[in-house]
Amino acid sequence: MKYPRLSSALFAAAVLPVSLFFTGCESTDAKYVDSKGPETVVSLDQINIQDWTNASDQMISSLLTSGVLERAPEQPAIMAVSRIVNNTQQQVDTDMLTKKIRVALNQSGKVVTTTTIGLGGKAEDPLAKDAADMNAFMSGEKQQTKMPYYTLSGKLLEDRARAGSTRQVTYTFQLALTEVRSGLAVWEDEKQITKQGKKASVGW
Amino acid sequence: MKNIALFALAAGFAALTGCTTNVNTVERASPQAQPNYVADKRVVTDASLSGALRVNSVNQGVVSGNLLKVQAQLENLKSSVRAFNYRIEWYDQEGMLVSSPTEGWKLVRLQGRETTSISAVAISPRAVDFVLKLQEAN
Repeated sequence: MKYPRLSSALFAAAVLPVSLFFTGCESTDAKYVDSKGPETVVSLDQINIQDWTNASDQMISSLLTSGVLERAPEQPAIMAVSRIVNNTQQQVDTDMLTKKIRVALNQSGKVVTTTTIGLGGKAEDPLAKDAADMNAFMSGEKQQTKMPYYTLSGKLLEDRARAGSTRQVTYTFQLALTEVRSGLAVWEDEKQITKQGKKASVGW
Repeated sequence: MKNIALFALAAGFAALTGCTTNVNTVERASPQAQPNYVADKRVVTDASLSGALRVNSVNQGVVSGNLLKVQAQLENLKSSVRAFNYRIEWYDQEGMLVSSPTEGWKLVRLQGRETTSISAVAISPRAVDFVLKLQEAN
C-alpha cells in the first residue's frame, strides 16, 4: 500500500519543477512590479514607462554634462517649458518626459522652472499667477515675476517598419534648450529607442 | 540520409554566417585621455554573470561644477549577442540613498566580445558614492 503513495510523491516531485520551469513561476493574477525594474511590459504600439525614464535620463545626463547651465548669469537659472510637439500615433502627456527632466534639474540646483509663465499665456499654476497679480494690485507695486532665461522645447517622433510578422518601432525624443535673450538653442539632443518583435512581452 | 546531410549543411551555414557576432576594434595605440580610475570593491553573487560580463574599469569625473559622473567599461566575454541590465545608485556623505526621478534598471546589449562604456550623472551635488548593479537580462 505504501508503494503507490511513494510513486505519487515521486511523480509530483518530478512534475512540479518541470511545470515551474515552463511557467517561470509566474502567476496570471495582477501583482505589483517595480516601475523602475526590468519586469515591466514592453509594447510595440506605445511608449512604455521605461522608455520615458530612459529617454529623460539620457537627456538629463547630456544637459548636465554639456556645461551650458553654468553660463546663466543667475544661478539657479530660470526655465520655462515650451511646446513639446507630439508627432507619434499615440496620445501622450509630454509631462512624462518633461516633468522628470524638471525634477532632476531642480534637484541638481542648476535650474528652477517657472510655473506662472506658460505657452500661450497659460500658467501651469494659475492660482500662483492670480495671487501674484493680486499682491501687485494690493501693494500698488509692479509685479516682480521672474522671466525665464531658458525655454525647453522639443518633439516626439515615431517610425514604424515591418519585415514579415516582425514589427519594429522607433521613438525619437528631441529636445532643445533655448536662451531667451539671444533666441539661440544652446543645447540640443536627440535620443532614440527602438523596439522589435511580434507581440508585447512582460519583462525585458 | 538526405535529411541528415541537409541538417548538417544548414548547421554549418549558420555557424559560418550568423551565430558569431564578435566585434573587432581599432584605437589609438597611446590614448590621450587620462581617466580618473576608481578603486572598486566587487561582490559576485552570480557566477554565470561574471563569466559572461566583465567590468574592465570604473572611472569618475565631475560635471556641471559639482555633479559626480561615473563611467564603467563593460566587456561581453561571450561570442554572441548578450543583453545585461544595470543600475547605478547614488549615496550621500552620510551613506543615504539619493533618489532620482530617472533612476532604475537600464538595458545594454553587447555584440560578441564587444566592449562598451555605460555612464551616469548624479543629479544631486550631495551624491559622493555610487553602487553599480549588474544582472543578465532575460
